[in-house]
Amino acid sequence: MTSHGALSVVVNIKPRQEQLLIDTFKQMEKVEVDTNHLVPFRLITTIHFARFVVLQKDEDAKGHAIPARLVFTTNYDLPLENHLQQLVQIAGEGLWQIFSSCEYFPASSYNPESLYGYLQANNQQTETFYVGRGNRSVDQVEKENELRTAIETFIDQEEHSLKGEKPGVVRNKIIEFVSKRPDLAWATTPDPAPSMGWMTSFYGKMIGVILLTLLFSPLILLLVIVWMLIMLVHELREADEPDPVTKEHARELIARETGVVQTQFSALGNIKPGKFRLLTMLFLLRMTNFLAPYLFSKGKLSGIPTVHFARWLIINDGKQMLFLSNFDGNSEGYLRDFIHIAAKQLTLMFCHTVGYPKTRLMVFGGAKDAKGFMDWARNKQIVTNIWYSANKDVTVSNIFHNSKVRDGLYKEMNEAEACKWLQLF
Amino acid sequence: MEQLETKDIQGVIIRGYAHFHAACFSVLTITDPSAAKKWIRALSPQVTGGHIKPVDNALHIAFTFDGLKSLGLNKETLNSFPLEFEDGMTTRHKQQFLGDFGTSDPVNWIWGGKTNEPVHILLMMYAPDAQALISFYEKQKSAWTVSGMTELLELKTTVLPARKEHFGFHDGIAQPIIKGLKKTGVEGNTVATGEFILGYKNEYGQYPATPQSGNLDLGKNGSYLVFRQLQQDVESFWRYMDDSTRPTDGERDEKEMLRLASKMLGRWPNGTPLVLSPDNQRPDLKEADNFDYHASDADGMKCPFGAHVRRSNPRYALDTDPRTSVAIANKHRILRRGRSYGTPVAPSMRAEDILKSTDYEGDRGLHFLCFNADIGRQFEFIQNAWINNPKFGGLYDERDPLTGNHHRPEENKTTGTFTIQRPGLRMRYNDVPEFVSVKGGAYFFMPGLKALSHLSSI
Repeated sequence: MTSHGALSVVVNIKPRQEQLLIDTFKQMEKVEVDTNHLVPFRLITTIHFARFVVLQKDEDAKGHAIPARLVFTTNYDLPLENHLQQLVQIAGEGLWQIFSSCEYFPASSYNPESLYGYLQANNQQTETFYVGRGNRSVDQVEKENELRTAIETFIDQEEHSLKGEKPGVVRNKIIEFVSKRPDLAWATTPDPAPSMGWMTSFYGKMIGVILLTLLFSPLILLLVIVWMLIMLVHELREADEPDPVTKEHARELIARETGVVQTQFSALGNIKPGKFRLLTMLFLLRMTNFLAPYLFSKGKLSGIPTVHFARWLIINDGKQMLFLSNFDGNSEGYLRDFIHIAAKQLTLMFCHTVGYPKTRLMVFGGAKDAKGFMDWARNKQIVTNIWYSANKDVTVSNIFHNSKVRDGLYKEMNEAEACKWLQLF
Repeated sequence: MEQLETKDIQGVIIRGYAHFHAACFSVLTITDPSAAKKWIRALSPQVTGGHIKPVDNALHIAFTFDGLKSLGLNKETLNSFPLEFEDGMTTRHKQQFLGDFGTSDPVNWIWGGKTNEPVHILLMMYAPDAQALISFYEKQKSAWTVSGMTELLELKTTVLPARKEHFGFHDGIAQPIIKGLKKTGVEGNTVATGEFILGYKNEYGQYPATPQSGNLDLGKNGSYLVFRQLQQDVESFWRYMDDSTRPTDGERDEKEMLRLASKMLGRWPNGTPLVLSPDNQRPDLKEADNFDYHASDADGMKCPFGAHVRRSNPRYALDTDPRTSVAIANKHRILRRGRSYGTPVAPSMRAEDILKSTDYEGDRGLHFLCFNADIGRQFEFIQNAWINNPKFGGLYDERDPLTGNHHRPEENKTTGTFTIQRPGLRMRYNDVPEFVSVKGGAYFFMPGLKALSHLSSI
């Protein structure tokens, strides 16, 4: 079993180096993101998704200037040390060149250790990290998809000989086929189950928090009531600041949506001024971060079935929120799912940013205003300069489905179970 | 309940004119804007409102973004129209989004494509019979030819018996019921007026974005019309069914051919939904629309996951709870007003006769027309997220077997896959050709009648 991490390097770009970086990324994209010589993503086998985003010069909610920044993120297979080592080993010089345009980067010539140190030191804390594709390594996602494809082809080729056979017999023939294929040898044993230690820690934490919550529930309830009242006052006071989106901006964004199966979304928003908003947002994001693995373990983020990974960061000393996600389908459908399926949950997390449609008690209103929400989302959405996905052709649904195919190779099954398993194809 | 201003709404949005057996569409380009505006002024009183069911004929007019520009709408007004309408359906992004590659590539279109003359106006004419249509058309033509207008082409239509389309299937069954028209529809099929007509509340309880000319709501009682000329290859369609079902040694199996074609469609040729009758068609179910996939066919055993009707309106079966599913599905509905064109392969239009045919000569297909208030959220979404989505409904690599574009520019592949779910092992078809190609098209704005007279006076 593999767990995942979110690397988020966010650094200031040196004055007047912004365009240089944008041009570098354009060049990388032109060559081909997967194999470009600066950061040959395909060779870095610990990466599920990665992106470079240039955050343009900006102003916070109070009008204070914010310099341009570079964001480099990956969704990787733990442990972090291994991932960073791989990054440095394979793309060290390219990353060196890219980060040379950023502040406080070593002025010397290429040095792997200082690059490692730089990436590690500038890795920002992720407030909420959501994993939709479960505990599978990059390699496992790819291989399990190959396994299913190979079995499908086998079924097509053997159509006539399998016809009329009982499900159990057909299943045995499939198992035999898999066992005879040297390239599928890995599939003859199941993916190791999580260790006892992992399970104990995973469920232990949950039980601990539940007990603590119960213990302090009267106090928590009181605190929530008071907090909500203060929030309501804030909500009533805050002016509505609609953010219409220009056609030029929308065009630029959708023109970059060229994937057939997956897409990405990057959004940057100012957090509303004042400590109260920031604290509330941090608390909600961290609480969600804790609960997400328990609540959303079946590949659905608050019911949305298409999200591979998503993360929320608070950057620039609590002034801005950065939201990044990787999902299946097009961004129109993705944003509509926010409104249709998870309006309340996502409003709770997003409503602390400027321009979000008016809310009451953080869950009412908000994304219910579909037009206001779409305008806000597109307005906050920014260009992702480089986007990489290791397994471009598999959806979250495919990943879970593929694992079911594999799991079905090992257990004892009666005819009815075998029949059900065959229907996975 | 909001009252519909039917008098101001062009009638074809409200009714499909099944009683008019003849129709044609003229694609026009403006050469002299001021003459054209005079022509529109003279034409306006003849345009059919939605308050009456016309008897003699019906006339409708719609404009492309270029057309409105050519009439001289100012920049600000033009900019108030939505992005999708302004950019049209042939940009690089749209080509990919809608899946128009290979034989559907806009560079090969007959009209509205990248290499064609700019389309400005669509004039739609309806009459009870062919004779009446000819004289109606001639009358209109004599007016526009002296009014700074050139006809790029006339798109003729055919009414096929039993409301069939050219492959031999009953078409146009599952239409949404417009809430404001107070007809009672099946639960889950009554959709807010603002999904189709501007100026009314949509499924979100909000007013759709509307173009403004100064203080005038130019969109009020108008709608966006999507026009796609879809050529149908009837020969390839039935030959494929034959090749794929013929036993290795034997005669062709017409029953199996019909079964496979119906599995691709999701309905039998007479319209019977597979979900209600998976094994044969029934005369009593030919227009049945009160059915669902989630409750009675969650495994796709009756109607395959990839079938055309299951994709184009998933009803309660999206990957969420059924109530949420239908609420989502209803935010992606369209009002279809298409008509077939070209001579039928078999005059009876019985599928059994069509598949026996030996003469497939001729150009035929469907002038696909639909109305919606938000092209991006409705027509384009259905096309991208459902029809052409290889991953629809948990599938891996399938597009709509009937209308999907299987062309993969990067792979040189032009055929697709279709799976029929069965108890135990599925049946998979790996070499499904494209039976339908796009030959032309454009996005139009069909204004309300007041807005139309405003357009003629700018």
